Amino acid sequence: MTTQGSIDRVVVVGGGTAGWLAACLIAARAPESLAAPVHVTLIESPEVPTIGVGEGTWPTMRRTLERIGIAEADFLLACDASFKQGSRFDGWRTGTVGDSYHHPFVPPVPGEPRAIVAGWQAHAADRSFADAVAAQPSICDQGLAPRQRHMPDYAGALNYAYHLDAAKFAALLARHGVERLGIRLVRDHVTDVRTSDDGDIAAVQTRETGTIAGDLFIDCTGQAALLIGTALGVPFVDRSATLPNDRALAVQLPVAADSPIATQTIATAHAAGWLWDIGLPSRRGIGCVYASRYMDDDDALATLTDYLARVAPGVDVAALKPRRLVFRSGHRERFWVGNCVAIGLSAGFLEPLEASAIVLVELSIEALLANFPANRSALPLQARRFDTLFRYRWDRIVEFLKLHYVLSAREEPYWRDHRDPAHMPPRLADLLAVWRDQPPSTYDLPQADEVFPPASYQYVLYGMGWPAPAPAAAAPGIADALAQVRQRGRKLGAGLPTQRAYFDALHRERASAQRSTGRD
Amino acid sequence: MPDHAILTAAAHAEIRIRHERGAAMGDALMSCLVVPDEFRRVQNEYVILFRRNLEDGSTVALALFGFENGENLYLHGDRWDARYIPLAMDIQPLLIGAAHPGAEGGQVHIDMASPRIGGGEGARLFDADGQPSPVLETMIDKLGALDIGYRESAGFFAALQRHDLLEPLTVEVTLDDGSTNRLVGFHVIDEDRLRDLDGSQVDDLHRDGHLMPIFMALASQSNLASLIARKNATLRLG
Repeated sequence: MTTQGSIDRVVVVGGGTAGWLAACLIAARAPESLAAPVHVTLIESPEVPTIGVGEGTWPTMRRTLERIGIAEADFLLACDASFKQGSRFDGWRTGTVGDSYHHPFVPPVPGEPRAIVAGWQAHAADRSFADAVAAQPSICDQGLAPRQRHMPDYAGALNYAYHLDAAKFAALLARHGVERLGIRLVRDHVTDVRTSDDGDIAAVQTRETGTIAGDLFIDCTGQAALLIGTALGVPFVDRSATLPNDRALAVQLPVAADSPIATQTIATAHAAGWLWDIGLPSRRGIGCVYASRYMDDDDALATLTDYLARVAPGVDVAALKPRRLVFRSGHRERFWVGNCVAIGLSAGFLEPLEASAIVLVELSIEALLANFPANRSALPLQARRFDTLFRYRWDRIVEFLKLHYVLSAREEPYWRDHRDPAHMPPRLADLLAVWRDQPPSTYDLPQADEVFPPASYQYVLYGMGWPAPAPAAAAPGIADALAQVRQRGRKLGAGLPTQRAYFDALHRERASAQRSTGRD
Repeated sequence: MPDHAILTAAAHAEIRIRHERGAAMGDALMSCLVVPDEFRRVQNEYVILFRRNLEDGSTVALALFGFENGENLYLHGDRWDARYIPLAMDIQPLLIGAAHPGAEGGQVHIDMASPRIGGGEGARLFDADGQPSPVLETMIDKLGALDIGYRESAGFFAALQRHDLLEPLTVEVTLDDGSTNRLVGFHVIDEDRLRDLDGSQVDDLHRDGHLMPIFMALASQSNLASLIARKNATLRLG
């Protein structure tokens, strides 16, 4: 029974990673987050293929999966997933041998940023910043898992996220959402979007199932942006002047059963972009991201082929059938209009660097649930608040991604143009001036829930060789704290299994459990 | 069959040892050796009993885990339900080996036949650069404590004998299902003899550091009731 103006029918249009993640989170969290129950319907077109290359998550995914109610081992096995403990950036500074730095998921040792950076300079200058202030980089170098199997679900010795097979992930969420969370699945193609007199979306028209009405619509239709773009006409804000990458060539490389599994995303810079390398238990996802203004498709294929020849000598690239993806860096001017919220690629996409796509889906749903409109009259205000928050977040992400490029000393035109002050976000230019005298701190990123915290800026800044500011007075205790980082690294190095050993054992355990229960 | 080898970084660089508990790890034991230095911690959880070797007259102290061979009532699947695990259990699969017969001090040996060896999920004994890992350092500390404790225990047992402080244990445990379990061949501290010691005798024991372990062993007997409760709990489950 729908009361006047209440919002209890949520319709998610689109069934990729974003759609299923959004639907599952809303269905799972609504009972505790919302005053009144909501019914979630998801419309998935049997005709529209999902993009399915979003293979990197953030540590937030652990909380998300726990809230959705999926056991960690089930998730890992169903999605061919592995542990991600951050990223390693190769060749970004100069492109020469040994040019490499880590952006781990753990924060530096506790303390004032200035004291930590001074301590690194005074007591551990022989190490990189990340190595000096955190144990995680050495664990990544050894290919070790961040946890042992007997630990409780979603807990680790080190902060971690996942690499996963996006298609399998969407399938797992769909199964769980329909069977456990009561999501109504409509497998049909949306042919039309009907708006009401006040400009809200009243219903979507489907080919076979007829009209599906709702109170709140979530646009998860990907780059098509059927609702927020086509139907509601919200303009697209192009960020490609700042972030010129607009294409990717992706392959999936099968791996030997006993090969090591990298426990971080490896991002290797090339003449006009970078390559991702993401290790899963059964394959590596490798892709060449490039800016078509600086590199044509043939050169991109040659770049990808070179990389594959390095990491997998003798592999037949053509047989891997590289898939080309085209995107435009940018986002919508608004993300929530009337009763329609855009989440996922429909809201925008900048580029694959730092895997900000899936985490934005999680953050959007969290914000939606925390500020769920009690009735229709609350929609405009909540929409304004949501737009303000996410415009702030998109702007910060643009700046953080740009930071990776502007500190480079590479001389190719692509990299030189990246350093052109004309395309530098003004706020980032100001911050770089500030960071000549002080390290990134919460004064630079004042929100309680920044997408990228000051620590991330420190890792990239000092990883890229930015000079440390003039040292502050030596802070007491920092030498001990840095010595403890080394000791902790040794302890973890001895106690953690390799990522391959972890997944071998997990598979063995599951196989024997299935044998003993007669399942297959 | 045990397969003991001297532990070296060169030979055992890649060895990982498993720390989890379980019958498959060799933990299904009725008792294990304990040394007087650890009695204070042992008595918090276990009954401490003594056993005499009739052939050579030597004595050992044991922590009791169960009432029959192979029964460890503290072990629940992969969980050892106690806040302290005796050193002799905790250091496996390492052990002290003598460099040569009669030598003072010991070498670290490893039992290569132990089920704790192997698999990719255990803890490494050596760092990538061949240095002992923190895990091994901790185990070597425990091995050292056990070695010293064991060598010093001879004086403790001699004192018990000198003052005739051990008496045979005669306990018959009747379980909830009516069955009885008999503990035979063990000794405990003779409380009456202890009470009868005069001041100079107590002074001797105290000076040599034996008085505290004696009282700890005595106090440990109160754990017998909880061990019986553990046994009864298994009967209910069975």
